[in-house]
Amino acid sequence: MTVPADPRDAVATGTAAPDVVAGAGAHAGAPMAQSNLWRDAWRRYLQNRAAVIAGAVFVAFVAFCVIWPIVSPYDIESDPVNFSEAYESPSLQHPLGTDKLGKDLLTKLALGGRISIAIGIGATLAILLIGVVYGSIAGFAGGRLDNIQMRLLDALYGLPYLPFAIIVLAIIGTNSLWTMVIALSIASWFTAARIVRGQIITLKENDYVRAAKAIGARWYRVLTRHLLPNTLGVLIIAIFLELPGVILGEAFLSFIGLGISPPEASLGSMAQEGREVYRVHPNVIAIPSIAIAMLVLCANFIADGLRDALDPRTRETKDYGAPQG
Amino acid sequence: MTAFIIRRLLWTIPVLLLVIFLTFVLMRQIEGNPFRRTDRAVPAAVQRNLERKFNLDEPWYVQYALYVKGVFTFDLGPSLVLRDRTVNEIIKEHFPKSLELGVLAFVWAILIGIPMGVIAALRQNSAYDYGLMFITNVGYAIPNFLVATLLIYYVSLKLGLLPTNGWQTWEHKILPSFALALAPMAYFARLVRGSMLETLQQDYIRTAKAKGLRWRRVVTVHALRNSLIPAVTAMAPLLGFIITGTFVIEVIFSIPGIGRYFITAVTSRDYSVVMGITVLTSVVIVLANMVVDILYGILDPRTRDART
Repeated sequence: MTVPADPRDAVATGTAAPDVVAGAGAHAGAPMAQSNLWRDAWRRYLQNRAAVIAGAVFVAFVAFCVIWPIVSPYDIESDPVNFSEAYESPSLQHPLGTDKLGKDLLTKLALGGRISIAIGIGATLAILLIGVVYGSIAGFAGGRLDNIQMRLLDALYGLPYLPFAIIVLAIIGTNSLWTMVIALSIASWFTAARIVRGQIITLKENDYVRAAKAIGARWYRVLTRHLLPNTLGVLIIAIFLELPGVILGEAFLSFIGLGISPPEASLGSMAQEGREVYRVHPNVIAIPSIAIAMLVLCANFIADGLRDALDPRTRETKDYGAPQG
Repeated sequence: MTAFIIRRLLWTIPVLLLVIFLTFVLMRQIEGNPFRRTDRAVPAAVQRNLERKFNLDEPWYVQYALYVKGVFTFDLGPSLVLRDRTVNEIIKEHFPKSLELGVLAFVWAILIGIPMGVIAALRQNSAYDYGLMFITNVGYAIPNFLVATLLIYYVSLKLGLLPTNGWQTWEHKILPSFALALAPMAYFARLVRGSMLETLQQDYIRTAKAKGLRWRRVVTVHALRNSLIPAVTAMAPLLGFIITGTFVIEVIFSIPGIGRYFITAVTSRDYSVVMGITVLTSVVIVLANMVVDILYGILDPRTRDART
């Protein structure tokens, strides 16, 4: 669907217009001495305040999830169960309170965040991998194969991924981190494939690709040296476009009890635990849910900023697409 | 136009066959069948009879053909766990509630989302615009189980205004449908805002203004009507979201809908029910896509050729 440009973007790209030219043809007399695509992109990204804040929050949360369980005075797995301290309100010892076993929620949040982010990134990369393979075959081959592949995508597009993810989980049986990654990526790669195909088709018509072909480069060289590296920008944007849906999808699956098996817990399974007691202790469900919302919100803003930074010319993929999860 | 509609109708047949096939292939991968799982040993003869009754002894392509026939004749077979009930009965009992929930969510999303988008577009870059767009960003990011539990906690428990769960009176239906509607609402708002901004820059809007039409009329008659076309197309992808959402919302509000039943069926390994519900939701989505495409073709004739 064609969604016109956000006015903020129009302003942003308007001011950045000279750089766009410079980025596209840096060799042809660039206005700045050392401008290159990535440095330009970085500068454009820094101009988007929302994206910068979102990026900082995102990095901070990831760092917190990685580091805090190591330095925290509490150890969720080996600390003794202490029912007398169950469901404590936030205090100095437990900044976010405690869970039903009297364990520190802040530490648990970091551990859950680790798993959610790991699943999110794993599934996103899987989605992109499938999308790149499928999309570049379609875009590069063109013709009838492209047509068949796109018809197949049309057919699959819009299918509710949750029932399919649930069936895949039932097929595999055990719910580990990898199972979740497979279940979440298996029915979500359609958009990524379309993006890659579109990009390859656009690139294929470029003069440098024709030149490469004219001097006798084989098809795989054209594909791997000239086409795929130039989809990198789109793929980086796609990571942050897919991440929210995957994180929310994982949360949904966990929330309805089909998530990763205990004792491991993602943010979604923490929320599920909180559901039992939300009438008395709403913070137990609110904390992981807010963390999920924050991750998703940040990823959306980052995707926005990256799109302006890396791909200022595209206007088609301007909105997030339908909400997922 | 007729040719376009016929082409589009015919195109749904292979799509449906493919979707049923995928579900069918996936379902066959699940280990074991429910008759083997029972603890009491079933005599071999009985086992064979059961398998024959449910056509499990036929080769896969015969089973597939039988299943496709079943789908097209609206007979999804018997439930494998509740032996005295058919999948049709189960769907008939639970599906209308989910349908109602989904439709109500759409109504919320349209009634609130579209005006939000229009206001934001008309006051572009104002405080209204930024405020509304911030709300849509948040609405997009919040998992709907958080929205649902917060609504129950504050509206039902603290204020005691609406019931916490169930699906009997209209009062029961407000909170679940609203919780489900939040993200679609945000989506509609963004979409309408974007297309409205684009439409307002068109020449015919300037013409309408120039010939002295009142601004209200320009907005409602000339701009809004054309801006709503993307919102129409958005219905189809949103439907998938709504269906996914009903799974969660029905669990939280204890609504006896099809999503909650699906989860029960998965845990009790009632494969025919799982498959029936998956195929049903897929068919609903495929048909919705078709309707939207046809509608789009009617609303915007330029797209007819591009979207077979």
